[in-house]
Amino acid sequence: MKELLSIRNFKAYYQTSSEEVRAVDGISLDLNEGEILGIAGESGCGKSTFSISLSCLFPPPLKYISGEIFLDGIDITKLNTQEIRKSILGPKISFIPQSSMNALNPTIRIRNFAIDIVKQHEPKTTRENIIHRVIERFESLSLPKDVLNRYPFELSGGMRQRTLVILSTIMNPEIVIADEPTSALDVSSQREVIELLKIMVKKKIMKSLIFITHELPILRQIADGIAVMYAGQIVEIGSVSDILFNAHHPYADVLMSSMIVPEKGMREKNLPSVSGTPPDLRHAIKGCRFADRCPEFKKDCREKDIEMVELTKGSFVRCIHPLRTKK
Amino acid sequence: MPGNPITGIVSKMASGGAPSDVLEKLYNSYIQEFGLDKPLYIQFWDYLVKVLHGDLGVSFSLYPIRVNEILAKALPWTIALQVPSIIIGWLLGNFLGVTAAYKKGKFDSVLFPFSLFISCIPYYCLAIILLYFFGVVLHILPTNGGYSMNLVPSFSISFILDVLKHYFLPFLSIVLVTIGGQAVGMREMSIYELNTDYVNYSKSLGIKESKIIRYVFRNAMLPQITGLALSLGTMVGGALIVEIVFSYPGVGTWLFNGIRQQDYPLIQGGTLLVTMAVLTANFFIDIIYSFVDPRIKASQIEE
Repeated sequence: MKELLSIRNFKAYYQTSSEEVRAVDGISLDLNEGEILGIAGESGCGKSTFSISLSCLFPPPLKYISGEIFLDGIDITKLNTQEIRKSILGPKISFIPQSSMNALNPTIRIRNFAIDIVKQHEPKTTRENIIHRVIERFESLSLPKDVLNRYPFELSGGMRQRTLVILSTIMNPEIVIADEPTSALDVSSQREVIELLKIMVKKKIMKSLIFITHELPILRQIADGIAVMYAGQIVEIGSVSDILFNAHHPYADVLMSSMIVPEKGMREKNLPSVSGTPPDLRHAIKGCRFADRCPEFKKDCREKDIEMVELTKGSFVRCIHPLRTKK
Repeated sequence: MPGNPITGIVSKMASGGAPSDVLEKLYNSYIQEFGLDKPLYIQFWDYLVKVLHGDLGVSFSLYPIRVNEILAKALPWTIALQVPSIIIGWLLGNFLGVTAAYKKGKFDSVLFPFSLFISCIPYYCLAIILLYFFGVVLHILPTNGGYSMNLVPSFSISFILDVLKHYFLPFLSIVLVTIGGQAVGMREMSIYELNTDYVNYSKSLGIKESKIIRYVFRNAMLPQITGLALSLGTMVGGALIVEIVFSYPGVGTWLFNGIRQQDYPLIQGGTLLVTMAVLTANFFIDIIYSFVDPRIKASQIEE
């Protein structure tokens, strides 16, 4: 498997004149071709900030601090905005936004927006060719092609989100970052979007997918691997089955056990919860960020910053007292 | 307005030194001619019937010229002055507003207070300032009229140049005030639009700035079109005052003359014309709006 994306110790902070919020604080991650990586975590853990930073546009007050993002061997954090706009966004990295309701320009037909996107990257392609290509894409994924002649407000929520998926992948991007693409949808539309994404990875329309969500059951359906984020850092990365049923980091463990599964006895069961709130990211935190809330807290947890360690192949954890390990 | 306009007309003739019984006769014949001896409601009915037949009556001050003739002569000047200046001012103002919202920084911090300042100046004030500066101090542009008195209207180059010279200052003062008001409103709308999801999504697909500005311009413009329809009356009113300042031979100046000389038919005709023009323009703006915003059209069809 070819490695596609490699992120090394990446940091991006929100900086205002008076404060600094360490929203993404040292993320390292590898993504292989054909892989679907899920990123899970609670609100405010930096999932969305991380996904925005991957565009390397850093809208203020978000600011790039340090670290590298290697895409095909090129560190894209070193490129200027023009180069990123021209050669990275669209053909290499593409985004599927969360709010399908407002993500499309309300006064322009889907067809014309598709033309605008392609024209940015291939100025010489004629309108007819572009339309032809988009129609083909719609038909190959068995979606109605008359969507193209419509305005966004004429589409249903589910159809709009699927249209977004198609528009985002028109340039056959290498990596697609989907930031909670299903959270505004009902369950049946959710399923349709997820099936669509799965088919597209299988058909190699995109090489790999990063799927950000707080809805864990969805990750079970779609992801190959899961990265769990807490307070701006990844605390555990591993395969879906590992993380779901065999998590090593105490936070990942509680997060996964809070998932409601439709099985007998669930109704009577009390779901575990963690007391306390996530740490304030405006201040530097020494040691483990979960220490305050951790049920497995030991004295040495707060002594020094914790690094990611590889437990088994492809399974990393940021904990010095990981669960379920034989010692 | 106190005073009898007929007395005015007759006393003007009396300055020639006519005997009083002749003046008495003259007075009565004028009263009859204008129908002023009839009861008020009949006068009003007559007026309505005439207006529906397209007759605005005879001017008091310029007897026996008909109001229709006066307004027909004045209207082209007013249309030629107001339509382009309001449209250009509106477009420029909106364009500057969206640019200020997008560029932020220095451009915005200069343009925004300037627009706010200009939009608060009454039309006549700005017109007088411009007139004083360009016409009186610098002596480079004429201060009054639609063309020089010593020229005969024709399609010669010298006449057209002369007309353009007279055109410039009134045009500029209307355009400037319109720009100010529109730029302020458009800036607010665009700041709002620039934070919408579709702008961020378009950016994340690598769409270039100029294209995104065009999206934003188009969408932020929609409420501005409604705003134009609402403020058109005020705009036209203000522009008519500009005509008075520059003694431009348009409807505004004639309306002002009519008021000064108690020329009721002229005032009635002028205001009726302006009202009709504003209403018609509003009607067309409403129709245009449904073409520019597909959502409006869709909701109309559903109904």
